Amino acid sequence: MNQGNPSPFIQFSDVTVRYSELVYGLRKVSLRIESGEFLFFVGRTGAGKSTMLKLLTREARASEGSVKLAGRELERLSDHDVPGLRRHMGIVPQDFALLPRKRVWENVAYAMRAVGHSKRDVRRKVPEILEQVNIGYRADAFPHELSGGEQQRVAIARALINDPPLLIADEPTGNLDPEHSWEIVELLRNLNDKGRTVLVASHDMLVIERLGKRVVRMEHGQIVEDRSVDLA
Amino acid sequence: MLDRLDFLIGEALVAMRRNGLMAVAATMTVAMSLFLLGGFGYAYYQIKRYADALPGRFDMRVYLVEGAPYEQITATAQALREIPGVKSVNWIPKEKAWEQFSQEKGLDPNFVKDLGNPLPDGYKVILTDLGLAKEVVAKIQARPEVDSVQYLQAEQEILRQAMGLLRWLGLVLGGLLFGIGGILIYNAIRLTVVSRRLEIRIMRLVGSSGTTIQIPFLIEGVVQGALGGVLASGLLYACDLLVGHAVESSFMLGSLPPYPAWPMMGLLCAVGAFYGLVCSGIAVRRPLQYR
Repeated sequence: MNQGNPSPFIQFSDVTVRYSELVYGLRKVSLRIESGEFLFFVGRTGAGKSTMLKLLTREARASEGSVKLAGRELERLSDHDVPGLRRHMGIVPQDFALLPRKRVWENVAYAMRAVGHSKRDVRRKVPEILEQVNIGYRADAFPHELSGGEQQRVAIARALINDPPLLIADEPTGNLDPEHSWEIVELLRNLNDKGRTVLVASHDMLVIERLGKRVVRMEHGQIVEDRSVDLA
Repeated sequence: MLDRLDFLIGEALVAMRRNGLMAVAATMTVAMSLFLLGGFGYAYYQIKRYADALPGRFDMRVYLVEGAPYEQITATAQALREIPGVKSVNWIPKEKAWEQFSQEKGLDPNFVKDLGNPLPDGYKVILTDLGLAKEVVAKIQARPEVDSVQYLQAEQEILRQAMGLLRWLGLVLGGLLFGIGGILIYNAIRLTVVSRRLEIRIMRLVGSSGTTIQIPFLIEGVVQGALGGVLASGLLYACDLLVGHAVESSFMLGSLPPYPAWPMMGLLCAVGAFYGLVCSGIAVRRPLQYR
């Protein structure tokens, strides 16, 4: 966990997230994550794992403490800076969030166009990205024609359009059967092997144990265990 | 740049298709409100122009008491010229007035000679502003050497009342519909935001700028408002043709001045587009913020 490194990629320092007087999302959480790590946040619903991810995407803000990403203190970012922050990360939602009336390639192309890529860029990059997540063979399919695992691959492909150094996935296997879950986690590991930092919130202990990466266990808004298991 | 515009306009078109009926309702309401506002405004402008021209066409007559000396006539003319709202004052001797009257009425010269001249000396007074007529009359009548003042008070009053009615009708009816049109545009945009929440979520996930997310909705508002303006100007043009035809078939009224079709369309289109922009801007301000 490189505790001695003076400048981690991500640093949570005594972070508290308070939703109301009595309801806390996180309580005094501190955590360092180095560049290129693969880390699972595990815990029950409401334990605070999604809040950790939301702090990084700036969907939530710390009530106390600070969150730093690549040296930038996220609390100090204005709303105007949030799009720029999100272009440096890929976000994979649990429900895939695919446009049902667009084909696979169009879903990725739409996201690229939305962040300002030209049509020429889109034509060049979309096939590459789809191949990267092994879904190129279904490029012309509509989302409803895909399996859950394939839909999640498309969501991951979309998260890669900005070629981000950080990939954040909130329950990416939550809607998948064990076989497809393992496919997705394998894909995330491949992306991690290419140097990306990957953060995953998950319930899926079977997959987590099998992959053997760093696991941060959370309960009631606090970290109760932080272990690096590399059995793979 | 064109590539970017292509994406934003494409998004706006998709947004409009999603809530076609609501967009049509908003456009029609804006069209009706601009039609009323524009129509009443145009009619008001034309009547005001006509009314402003009235003092030139219908001069005011000021009659002096019998036997006023020449010095008095000159001094009074000078005093009348100094009253605010008076454009010109011309002395009309009673002999000239009687001669004109006799000719206009076609009276027998022998009968006129036998009758004698019953008219007093007087002035023809022309006003600069119809609205000042009452004040001018009051000031003239306050002078002891003045016997009476005649002007077309009734006609002027009718015009003033007609202008007032048009102003109020235009403001109340047009304003009411304008407000409703704005609410409908706001509502149409909000519905579009809801129907496109998945696209908005994706844009936020991948880091689209706030402007990129908002512009298609603003374009939608502008298009709805501008289309309302075009429809309103078309309706106004049709009304002008109908009224113009009715007026021309009447010998008494002459003809209407030409209707400024293109400037009117440009004006209503611009007003509608600006209004659509404001309403859609209010509609997307909160729901599309990055939070």
